[in-house]
Amino acid sequence: MEDFFEKLHDTFIVDDRWKYLTNGLKTTLIITFFAVILGMALGFFVAVIRATHDKTGRLKVLNFISKMYLTVIRGTPVMVQLLIIYYVIFASVRIDKTFVGILAFGINSGAYVAEIVRSGIMSIDSGQFEAGASLGLDYTKTMIYIIIPQAFKNVLPALANECIVLLKETSVAGYIALEDLTKGGDIIRSVTYEAFLPLIAVALIYLVIVVGLSSLVGRLERRLKKSDRG
Amino acid sequence: MIEVKGLRKSFGSLEILKGIDTTIEKGEKVVVIGPSGSGKSTFLRCLNMLEKPTGGSVIFEGTDLTKMNDKQLHKMREKMGMVFQHFHLFPHLTIRKNLTLAPVKLKLMSKEQADESAEIMLKKVGLSDKADSYPNMLSGGQKQRIAIARALVMNPDVMLFDEPTSALDPEMVGEVLGLMKQLAAEGMTMVVVTHEMGFAREVASRVLFIDEGVIAEENTPEKIFSSPDSPRLQSFLSKVL
Repeated sequence: MEDFFEKLHDTFIVDDRWKYLTNGLKTTLIITFFAVILGMALGFFVAVIRATHDKTGRLKVLNFISKMYLTVIRGTPVMVQLLIIYYVIFASVRIDKTFVGILAFGINSGAYVAEIVRSGIMSIDSGQFEAGASLGLDYTKTMIYIIIPQAFKNVLPALANECIVLLKETSVAGYIALEDLTKGGDIIRSVTYEAFLPLIAVALIYLVIVVGLSSLVGRLERRLKKSDRG
Repeated sequence: MIEVKGLRKSFGSLEILKGIDTTIEKGEKVVVIGPSGSGKSTFLRCLNMLEKPTGGSVIFEGTDLTKMNDKQLHKMREKMGMVFQHFHLFPHLTIRKNLTLAPVKLKLMSKEQADESAEIMLKKVGLSDKADSYPNMLSGGQKQRIAIARALVMNPDVMLFDEPTSALDPEMVGEVLGLMKQLAAEGMTMVVVTHEMGFAREVASRVLFIDEGVIAEENTPEKIFSSPDSPRLQSFLSKVL
């Protein structure tokens, strides 16, 4: 027992090593937060383009570009995308690594969000489009006020799941030397030669956040369900 | 008010409407009857361009709808209310929001005006107490009355009804037909596709019998129901009456 507390002390207290974890967590949360926003925006945009094309046959060029985007992003590992964005696209530019992380994970997540949201839009009864049209609402207004809110509600669990996946996926950010939560734990391991405590601590932190987020989503879902009663 | 000339509609190689000519005057209550698959719903949906005709023209208040661009069509639809068989209320919005969404987002009314107008319409359809409910908390008959109120808030010149009672339980048909009769009595121009022959007999100023994509017979309800001319109408009526 003595031994365990000494290890705990060595791992986290000496030289303020716990700061690797808190600073890492901060970076992880910042990247996840902004990547989720970017991914959602991108995803909704692409989903609406794809759904509009499927339903009306318009936006051919944008649809083609969207399909390319989806194929490339979903067909390659996120880590490779991260490395390419940092070492190839921004090779000759000095650029904030956190920004690169947000960009890479946001663009990646957008592709998955797009397909989730598109399935949500396509699942809405075409009668809803017709009801909107019969009231004089144009396609865009019908989409924004009638279709998207219903689609969003239907796919909310899937979207939340995507956010959680994204949070965990950012753990590869260390490959461009971003000091995120995982990297923070790993740094502690490399200076103390003690793997168990820092890595378990990292895992626990991810777990607590994920469980917390999941319960928040559950609560939101129950609130949205109000309109389904009856 | 609505002039239909040589209206044709095909889906692929299947021709549903094979040349429809008729004129609907202001204040008229036209009831469209006919066997299923005869094209009566398609005819109604062509009137507000939910289906784009493949031939002929639909002239509404002096303008040919088949030559309009999308923007003009949306403007036109503000004046043509439509009620669907399956209601198509917006499930994510309260009843009040269902009624006020279109007039507010189209900037036809302020939010206050729309709320007031919604209140009046809800009173008219007898569902004032449901303003803050969601559609899924209502019965079928109530939903359809709300759908009618939603169309009325737009203050339309004509109301199109596409089998408004076909999806209802029998005991709820009466409340919807009652409301439609009330509208008719107030002078609303109405085009109603229905299987409710009692309603046609009582309310229609004219009955169109559509069969195999054409108007096979067109007359006052008295003539249609008591002395139908064509054998096809006779056989149809013998099945539904």
